[in-house]
Amino acid sequence: MLSGSMSTPDRPKIPKEELDHIPGTERSTRIDVWWWLVVLVVGITILLLFAWPDPFMNIFKFVQDGIVITVTVTLVSFLLVLIVGMIGGLGRLSNKRPVYVISTLYVELVRGVPLLVQLIIWYFAVPVMIQSLGKAWNFPSLENFQADPVVMAIIGLVFCYGAYMSEIYRAGIQSIPKGQMEAARSLGMTYFQSMRHVVLPQAVRVILPPIGNEFIALLKDSSLVSVVAVADLTRRGREYASIHFDPIEVWMLVALLYLIMTLFSARVVNWIEKKTKFER
Amino acid sequence: MSEPIISIRGVHKYFGKVHALCGLDLDIYRGEVVVIVGPSGSGKSTLLRCINRLENYDRGKIVVDGIPLDNARNINAVRRDVGMVFQSFNLFSHLTVLDNLMLAQRVVRKRPSAEAKQTALDLLKKVGIPDKAGAKPAQLSGGQQQRVAIARALAMNPKVMLFDEPTSALDPEMIKEVLEVMLALAAEGMTMAVVSHEMGFTRAAAKRVIFMDEGQILEQASPDVLFSNPQHERTRQFLGKILSH
Repeated sequence: MLSGSMSTPDRPKIPKEELDHIPGTERSTRIDVWWWLVVLVVGITILLLFAWPDPFMNIFKFVQDGIVITVTVTLVSFLLVLIVGMIGGLGRLSNKRPVYVISTLYVELVRGVPLLVQLIIWYFAVPVMIQSLGKAWNFPSLENFQADPVVMAIIGLVFCYGAYMSEIYRAGIQSIPKGQMEAARSLGMTYFQSMRHVVLPQAVRVILPPIGNEFIALLKDSSLVSVVAVADLTRRGREYASIHFDPIEVWMLVALLYLIMTLFSARVVNWIEKKTKFER
Repeated sequence: MSEPIISIRGVHKYFGKVHALCGLDLDIYRGEVVVIVGPSGSGKSTLLRCINRLENYDRGKIVVDGIPLDNARNINAVRRDVGMVFQSFNLFSHLTVLDNLMLAQRVVRKRPSAEAKQTALDLLKKVGIPDKAGAKPAQLSGGQQQRVAIARALAMNPKVMLFDEPTSALDPEMIKEVLEVMLALAAEGMTMAVVSHEMGFTRAAAKRVIFMDEGQILEQASPDVLFSNPQHERTRQFLGKILSH
């Protein structure tokens, strides 16, 4: 079976390009093939929109303000999640007992309640609580408190995702060798200066992949805010479908629009990861 | 001699149930090079790390250049003036060599960028690697990394330098280049406390050798006296092992 290539005198010549090829350089020189998947999904969507403008273009025009809401809610929430996660992560590593206990309670409790339930609490329960407190303490401004759906939805997303992000930060900071902190402290830097200039910049590079995943998960989970009166892409789709009774076309297009956003984000995350790779 | 720059009095340190330092007293004077030797687990590194309070001690008092190490503010003030070199170099791996040398100057000493850069470049020349300013630590050999680490500590203009087994992670050729830098530093009159078993360096530079065992200083003397005429049986045994090669 084996042709005994070692002893064959006339073995095929290896082409020059293959000899010049240096192993390990393949990925950097080739365009990321997964970009083609993004192109494909965008292509299908455009095809649907222009080949069958009725109903697809109509649906798109109806839901486009929902896309803006979805993107805005996701981006604003994510920026805040990055901050809350950092504070939570540092708290989980604090040697000050109360700080550690509070941040651990936050992480453990929040991760144990479904996001949908949390969003409902923020939108339906918290405003009523504030109003009745206002009544009890005689604060007219609190008594007439009206919850803005978008604001409450962002608070809910940030509160929940901040807990998960805290754990990512904690793991990232713990993955940086202790000697880095010691060297920084030995030069007279304070704990926060050392974190800011030495540990966090390295930790962020380590946790970039999970942070990217969180962003994409947040983008998808932002569809849950449609339940609490936010007119995002999902809610606009449902509104259109309930008027025109064409669920197949509506949800197909909505799914495609989410896919474009998530696949594109995944590529961007991948690109940033490659850019910031560094040797330890 | 005048006032000691480092004064250690009755320092105790426990790691759980292990008594790592047992009521230690030690004075180190300005311009003195002190080498601490002893078997592993004798508390040498712990003692050194207590001097800039990287390690907390449970009892006793340490005063560095008139500042007692008893609150966060004082500890940071002492650390500014006490350079430390580690066995594993601990260069900031995300920064270039130049940025490693500039960071603490900028953040702690608040020096303007141009001044910090000049200090850094001068020190790189001094430790013999002026051409590596733009390199990342991972691109350097161990010996080069340790010399950068020494330069990084010197950039803060320290009054004292602590060396925690600076050559233990290096191979023989690199040990030489690091020791040369340390010898030059000693010749300039830098106050140094060194945990090391490099006997060549000790003979050439040390004013005093301290032998530690089980968390205590068993004896101390100049290298000539200690090496030729150790007083304790334990010292004799230990020196026999490290001087024989």
